[in-house]
Amino acid sequence: MSVIKKMTSRFPLNLSHLDDRLLLIITGIIAGMCSGLAAVALRLALELVTEWLHPFRHFWWAFLLPAIGAVLSSIYLEKIAREGAGHGVPEVIYAVSKHGGLLRLRSSYSRLISSFLTIGSGGSAGPEAPVVMSGSAIGSNIAKFLWLNDRQRTTLVGCGTAGAIAGIFNAPLAGLVFSIEVILGKWNFSNIIPIAIAAVAGAEVSQALIHKQVLFNHMPFNVGTADILPGICLAVFAGLISVFFTKTLNTTGKFAKKFRFPLWVRALIGGSVVGGIGLFFPVVLGEGYHFIQSMISGTFSMGLFITFVAVFAKIFATAITLGWGGSGGIFAPCLLIGSLTGIFFHKIVFLLFENPACASEGAYALLGMTGLISGVMQAPLTGIFLVLEITGGYETILPLIVVSAISSTMSHYIEPASFYFKELIKQGQFLRPGTDARILSDLNISELISTEFTKVSENMIFREFIEIIKTSDQFFFPVVDENTDAYKGMIEIRNIRRYVLNPGIYDMVFLNQIMDTDILTASLENDLQDVLEMMESNNMESVPVVEHETFIGMISKTRILDLYRRELIMQTSVR
Amino acid sequence: MGKHMTLSVSDLSTCLGVSTDTITRWVRQGKLPVLPKGNDLRFLKKDLEKWAALHNIRLNLSDKKSGEKQNQADIRLSQALQNGGMYCDIAGNDIPTVLEACVNRILQIPDDFKSDLLDRLAERENALSTGVGNGIALPHPRQPLSYLPHPMITVNFLANPVDYNALDGRPVSILFCILCPSLQYHLHLLSALSFCLRDTDFISFLKSQPEMDQLLEKTVILQESIPL
Amino acid sequence: MNYKLLQIFRNTPFGRETFLQSLYFCKIIHANPVVYIPESDKFLMYFPNDAIQIDLDSSYLTSPKTAKKHASALFKEMGFKPAFFTPRSFTASTLPDIPINYDYFCCPRSVSDLSSKIGLGHIGPKVRRIIKHAPFPVLLTSPVFKPWKSIAVFFGGSTNASKALQMGLKIAMVSKLPLDIYTLKEKKSQTHYENIIKESNLSAPVSQFLRDWHFYKKSEFDTMLYDVPHDALIVVGAYGHGVIKDLLFGSKMEKIQSTVTNNLLITGPQCELSLLH
Repeated sequence: MSVIKKMTSRFPLNLSHLDDRLLLIITGIIAGMCSGLAAVALRLALELVTEWLHPFRHFWWAFLLPAIGAVLSSIYLEKIAREGAGHGVPEVIYAVSKHGGLLRLRSSYSRLISSFLTIGSGGSAGPEAPVVMSGSAIGSNIAKFLWLNDRQRTTLVGCGTAGAIAGIFNAPLAGLVFSIEVILGKWNFSNIIPIAIAAVAGAEVSQALIHKQVLFNHMPFNVGTADILPGICLAVFAGLISVFFTKTLNTTGKFAKKFRFPLWVRALIGGSVVGGIGLFFPVVLGEGYHFIQSMISGTFSMGLFITFVAVFAKIFATAITLGWGGSGGIFAPCLLIGSLTGIFFHKIVFLLFENPACASEGAYALLGMTGLISGVMQAPLTGIFLVLEITGGYETILPLIVVSAISSTMSHYIEPASFYFKELIKQGQFLRPGTDARILSDLNISELISTEFTKVSENMIFREFIEIIKTSDQFFFPVVDENTDAYKGMIEIRNIRRYVLNPGIYDMVFLNQIMDTDILTASLENDLQDVLEMMESNNMESVPVVEHETFIGMISKTRILDLYRRELIMQTSVR
Repeated sequence: MGKHMTLSVSDLSTCLGVSTDTITRWVRQGKLPVLPKGNDLRFLKKDLEKWAALHNIRLNLSDKKSGEKQNQADIRLSQALQNGGMYCDIAGNDIPTVLEACVNRILQIPDDFKSDLLDRLAERENALSTGVGNGIALPHPRQPLSYLPHPMITVNFLANPVDYNALDGRPVSILFCILCPSLQYHLHLLSALSFCLRDTDFISFLKSQPEMDQLLEKTVILQESIPL
Repeated sequence: MNYKLLQIFRNTPFGRETFLQSLYFCKIIHANPVVYIPESDKFLMYFPNDAIQIDLDSSYLTSPKTAKKHASALFKEMGFKPAFFTPRSFTASTLPDIPINYDYFCCPRSVSDLSSKIGLGHIGPKVRRIIKHAPFPVLLTSPVFKPWKSIAVFFGGSTNASKALQMGLKIAMVSKLPLDIYTLKEKKSQTHYENIIKESNLSAPVSQFLRDWHFYKKSEFDTMLYDVPHDALIVVGAYGHGVIKDLLFGSKMEKIQSTVTNNLLITGPQCELSLLH
């Protein structure tokens, strides 16, 4: 492979001689910093544009702002960047599991711009998924530039992701955990160190450039054992809300696709609706970090009923923004919905009991956040670590874990596939390392095929064939056309045993009279999964592979087992 | 086998028993230790051994056993006859004495093993006679004789025909002793020999007590038509 | 041998010419053409070290209802059994993945700019990137269907040129058409090039299939291009250097392709092939 040669000729520094771990750590730092920068850039740009647009929010036509943003965003994404992908995270997971983390260069900036347009103008979405996509694309392209192999590239994609999350939240641990729990799906030694370092690099960049961190300025909370019971109730509630949120997101997307509007019209309608909701509930607009901030610090003032409605307003606004052409993620909306849920629950508790001995509103907002993140993404650890880093202490950890566990279990029970994985699972592309599906997708038909077969002509007389059997150890004989070499059928020794032992018919039949013509065949384009399914449902031991009427070879179950086992060893072994 | 011996993709694919496509995929995915130099992919043997041990994968480096196994059965009948040699005028009146006389005269059997071999031959005869008819018997032990350097068939012409409990009841005057270091040879030689013994011309030729050279010449011609 | 050629079908008269050309190519070299009728204006190809998104211009999506019918008719006209490719995996719903396990890939000189610009323009950036990363040779068709009767290899002595020569030999072997080699001498003697062929173990097949070996002085590039028969398939190797280098120094391949109207078969730097199969 000349790839390797290129690598050495291109780089006098000769990275290939560097120790694998050191190489990953160094490139990981670069990836983490770059994606951290991307995250910071988006954050700062969003803050700037929110401030700039703030005076216009009071006019009646303000509802058009999100519409304009959504139109620009969708036109940019479809016509200029021609990105053609969903909200980002599933694509990254797909690339990691199917194509060794290969991502396009354009993904490293396209989402930043489109989500800036969407969120900056007031669309209800989060900047995290776009940043994750750019971060991972940055990592992937660094690896591409250095001609690294798939394993190293995947790690760098993880580094980029971690740097991006760490950069946008200033939360390195959450970045590490998110990257491994959601994107890579594999905890192993060679991954964790570079990703952890990349996460720290991303957070450092964020701290150096953003002086006023909004969310994560370490607030102390007093959450005692008395909060466990209300916490459990909150978790159940949050679980339900997150299931509702996921369902709404999915149905809105499908609903929007039913209309054959041009793209920009769809975005215009969606944006106006969101803007309309925003006129009554400004809390739904944008990524909402400032509202979350005020909820945590307890300066948020909304009545019980209004809070309840706001939860659903935000859910619908987010679903419409994302489903009707806007661009962005669900991370920030999850946080906002979660804190609204927490506060609503806190208010209920205070309504029912007089002077209950439970913690402040802010603490419940945090618990709600954990509940929503764990529920929607089904990533309990990410939820726990993110909120831990907000509080900067361990006082809340017990209720956090309880809430996170219950909420994720509940939503898993009702909706087994999380929002990020749903599409992938539906397409059969959810391929975590070491799983059956992954091994089958890695193994190629062309790798399994055994090609050394004696072919026989359909016009051969049976006696001649008997002579061939005597000296051959094949169990299967493909029968082909004499002139064109086209595949006609198979002869399986097992099936013709009684004729073989009957010399009387040796000169009576030709091979095309005893061959099996209705035996199922596979082609090189089939996935191994399809082939195995075919073998299992028809109780076959081997399948002939035929392509363009030419016999290529056979695939046998013994061969599959042999390679399957090796592949399993390779994928699961600790390196 | 130098310390810095390298392997190519096709070498490694035979070692591991996977296709070259699989090897290049593993390299692409970063699962195999590969040398970063050169136009083609090369693998350092030392690295591969480390890697195989780490993953608990069998690496059949420099192991030619599988190749030998294939060739094992490929000994020609004439070669075995030549290895064995021919012995005339074997004395004896019944099976045990004939066998004893045979065994004692076979040069290739070390003296320490002669009594053991005799026991085994007799045991085999007691189980079922090896007289195949037409005055011919094929005495052989049921276990392989690991001390033999190569498989052999000795031709023994008896001084007097002996009643051998043969299938057709006729007395036996020619013994073919089949002595093999492994079972594969045994089956192969037995089948080749019995194929030849189906030929009536060959049997009458044998009855004439031919010289070794003549016999070899005849078997070389005959074994060409043996299927297998 | 079972070669496959992938063709992205464009349901326009221009696309018909391209397709006829590739069908002719398949017929000569006994390959099986497979057609992909695009359903969205972009698709992805995952090469070993790059993911390339190919943006097609809108003419590729012209009247999708008749596309299959038209393609089948052309298949039958040239005596092939219609074979279509339907993507199985998608990176996103409008972004199908096209596998790269083909032996040849056929496309016009540009896919993403409007076809009106395609007379003999420059090679489009996407096609250029495909060539750079593809493990298979790429067939760039002439604007109008034109059968070819000989093979012309441009051989400059580099590794990529050897690949092109191998490719040319391979086609000569299966098609039994005469092979010419065209070499632009760069301060080196004729024997230098013959030695290269010896070293790469190609002398036996070369002597078997070669009709003529034309040598030109360095300044005679344009003469050489004119001397190439108009009905020859040109096989040429492409180099892997980047866009900047191409802009500064100009690329020989670029010059060839913008001057001659012949069909070009380009072997890229990552192209993997062997004479045996």
